[in-house]
Amino acid sequence: MTKISESQRSLIGIIIVTLIVVVAMPMLNAFGSESSFFFVSDYQLNLWGKYLCYAGLAVSLNLLWGYTGLLCLGQGLFFALGGYALGMHLMLKIGEQGAYKSELPDFMVFLGYKELPAHWVPFDSFGFAVFAVLLVPGIVAGIFGFLAFRARIKGVYFAIITQALTYAACLMFFQNSFTFGGNNGFTDFKTILGSKIFDPVTQRTLFTVTAVYLSLCLFFIWWLTRTKFGKIQRAIRDSENRVRFSGYSTTTYKLAIFVVAAIMAGIVGALYVPQVGIINPEEMRPSKSLEIVVWVAVGGRATILGPVIGAVFVNWLKSYSTYHYPDYWLIILGALFVFVVLFMPNGIVGLPQQLKSSYKRYRHWFQKNKEAESAA
Amino acid sequence: MKSRVTITLITRVFLLVLFGLASDLRADEAQARQILVEAILSSGKEQTALVESLSSTAAPIVPDYLEFWKRGKIYLYQTDPDVDPIPVLEHEAETEGEASTYSRIVDGEIIVDEAGNPLVLDPEKMEMARPGRKTRRVFTMTVDLLALSTPDVSDRADAALKLGLKQDKDILPKLRELSSKETEPLVIEALEEGIAVSMLAHGSKEEQMESIQVLKDRNSIAGLDALKNLRHDINDGYAPYPLTEEEKAELDESIASIESYISVTDFVGTCFRGLSLGAVLLIVALGLAITFGLMGVINMAHGEMIAIGAYAAYISQQIFYTVFSQSTFALETYFLFAIPFSFIVAALCGLVLERTVIQFLYKRPLESLLATWGVSLILQQGFRLVFGAANRQVRSPSWLLGNVEIFDITFGFNRIFVIGFAILIVVGTWLLMSRTPFGLSIRAVMQDPQMAAAMGIRINRVRMMTFAFGSGLAGLAGVFLSQIGSVGSNLGQSYIVDSFMVVVAGGVGNIVGTVISALGIGVTDQALQPLLGPVMGRICVLIAIILFLQWKPGGLFPSKSRNLD
Repeated sequence: MTKISESQRSLIGIIIVTLIVVVAMPMLNAFGSESSFFFVSDYQLNLWGKYLCYAGLAVSLNLLWGYTGLLCLGQGLFFALGGYALGMHLMLKIGEQGAYKSELPDFMVFLGYKELPAHWVPFDSFGFAVFAVLLVPGIVAGIFGFLAFRARIKGVYFAIITQALTYAACLMFFQNSFTFGGNNGFTDFKTILGSKIFDPVTQRTLFTVTAVYLSLCLFFIWWLTRTKFGKIQRAIRDSENRVRFSGYSTTTYKLAIFVVAAIMAGIVGALYVPQVGIINPEEMRPSKSLEIVVWVAVGGRATILGPVIGAVFVNWLKSYSTYHYPDYWLIILGALFVFVVLFMPNGIVGLPQQLKSSYKRYRHWFQKNKEAESAA
Repeated sequence: MKSRVTITLITRVFLLVLFGLASDLRADEAQARQILVEAILSSGKEQTALVESLSSTAAPIVPDYLEFWKRGKIYLYQTDPDVDPIPVLEHEAETEGEASTYSRIVDGEIIVDEAGNPLVLDPEKMEMARPGRKTRRVFTMTVDLLALSTPDVSDRADAALKLGLKQDKDILPKLRELSSKETEPLVIEALEEGIAVSMLAHGSKEEQMESIQVLKDRNSIAGLDALKNLRHDINDGYAPYPLTEEEKAELDESIASIESYISVTDFVGTCFRGLSLGAVLLIVALGLAITFGLMGVINMAHGEMIAIGAYAAYISQQIFYTVFSQSTFALETYFLFAIPFSFIVAALCGLVLERTVIQFLYKRPLESLLATWGVSLILQQGFRLVFGAANRQVRSPSWLLGNVEIFDITFGFNRIFVIGFAILIVVGTWLLMSRTPFGLSIRAVMQDPQMAAAMGIRINRVRMMTFAFGSGLAGLAGVFLSQIGSVGSNLGQSYIVDSFMVVVAGGVGNIVGTVISALGIGVTDQALQPLLGPVMGRICVLIAIILFLQWKPGGLFPSKSRNLD
């Protein structure tokens, strides 16, 4: 039997994940019989849609942190920006079905607006909203990244100023006068592209789109790690100065990766909003961005499937323990993070390897003892 | 009628004095009640004069009764057509449909029947007492003048100034009269200021010019509006006397002088508030400057160490309350005990945290961020389980409340205290770091652990103690924060971003940098707040720090090193 390489194994993993989320789950939801064990209910599909969004978010952070060594504590900001951009379109599509029966979104009526603010007008078109989902996080990341990388802010400092940026944005979006709904954010969506948003068929379509997008991201990263670009990326992580002295502009590389990761996060944000039905500044809280880092760490950083497994596992655990042990779930979660950092530096994906090597060490030690015994 | 009232008054006063029960206040009140009764029963000029005379009684009940009178709550109760009616005050029943009760104005007692139950009066025998038209006009002035005779010095000074600002022609002579009698220098000053403002409108030309000078000399903020009004009147041609160009220039100069005085006091006030905010930030960030700045541990649980200190302050308050049974002594002294107690508790928690988690992560600083964040989640939930989800109140000792006003700038005692506290902590830390063997070994271990170990320093122990010290400083911050807000499980979270920004902007590993950046951020924040509002001010400060790092990526005082990466 020929030994399969690391990269081939990842590819097989990606294909299996793709088959499960893109084909199996929507099919089982649509055609499965309700009594069957494998049936996926609408509720479960919706929940898994949320998990897949989180997985996509973790994948985007992994591109930054895992492969380039840039710990960004503001990934939640880009996620929320994407979500807000699509949310604005969905808010306008509520039209006169809102509580105040007005063309304007409810919160604007409540705040006494007479007409739509100018920056809201183009969001009436779905195309523009999608364009903004890509553009807004990209521009914010571009400007911020340009400033940060040009000043050669890195490591811990980069982490802290991205956190400050997120915090500032969070404060800003909490304000009513910022025209984005204050602390209530956007909710009560009715339709997306003309179809009812909470219809099972719409939700299944959204799930499938999310699943396809996630698979594409995984294939993209698999491909990227095999290119020269990916190698430079990892070289920057391991020793940035050496790369710079070899004549590469590390600033440009880092900026490009930062912007791509921000856009990826923005897209999952936009997929998240119609499935969950709400977007508010809570998503921008610095603690939310820290959680994303933890998903990646738990799953295994710098691996292709690690972030997906980490995001799904932690969020599943979160749902499970908030339901069964509401008083203790924060403690369980906190203890998990401490445990993973201290004892599982390679995360869940790295666990088999870690166990194998400790087993080897144990056998080594055992044999040595035996030899010593027999010698005596 | 009048003679009888006087006789009752005399007997009353006589009796009070006789039995030694006469406090000034009660005598004043009795006198005021008598005058009120007389005024209600009389009419015309006599009534007006009586109401005016109330202003010299110094009884605090007068404003209320005048208000009742004006609103028609006072009735005349005619028991017998031959006898004078009795003035009574109506107290409406709290529940609807029940009859009102009445009290006699002469002594404030509720009218009761023989059994002691409130008597329901026959509406037929009652008539609403209405003040005369001219009397009504003197009500406000009477109340104002009454305030001039309150025993409290600062209240009296406030009242004097307020009356002067009304620029009322009738009050001016009264103010003058009072100023000749007044003995308290504070009140005399206020009266003079009030008289000057009043004279701007009603004095002769000489008096007017004198007032302009007086207001300028006193830097009277209160008089500024009156001066500006005069200036407008002159421009519009309404001024009582035409002024020469020179005199106009004098007026302008006076206005400009007061305005510049205001901008100076505003500036000093902003600086002071900024310094005190900076001191809070400094206390909060100093512990982090040690654990993060010196040791390189990204301690996300720093905020929880602060919360531990705050909860320790709460516990020490509860212990003092239990032991000294809620006496004032407990309230005044627990705080002095809470300071060392919180330091020790937080330092011990830091010690445990270092031994169990952080000691394994010195080579992986970014991962210390994740582990300590996990610890912070555990601690937050732990606080909620132990102390409950609701916030706990910690009461401030009275010597931290009050404030003192110097040159129109208010200095709160708690703000002064926090500045002093910050200076003490910084000096203490600096002495520890630079003047003790322990400080020397800390610096050695932080600069080069391997070399320090080779020199025989027990680096594990030094790191452990350093982390405990940094955590203890966070605990001290907690004691102070418990004084400016309530104590909750999220207390630390609201300061964590700020404290990291302070340390980063100051230059990691440099305590002087931390001090300067904390004060700088505090002052900038306070200077921006009046212009942009609290939230936008804060956002601008955060953005300013990000831009500042553009210019100085290593912070104010970057640590110098030949190492790459």
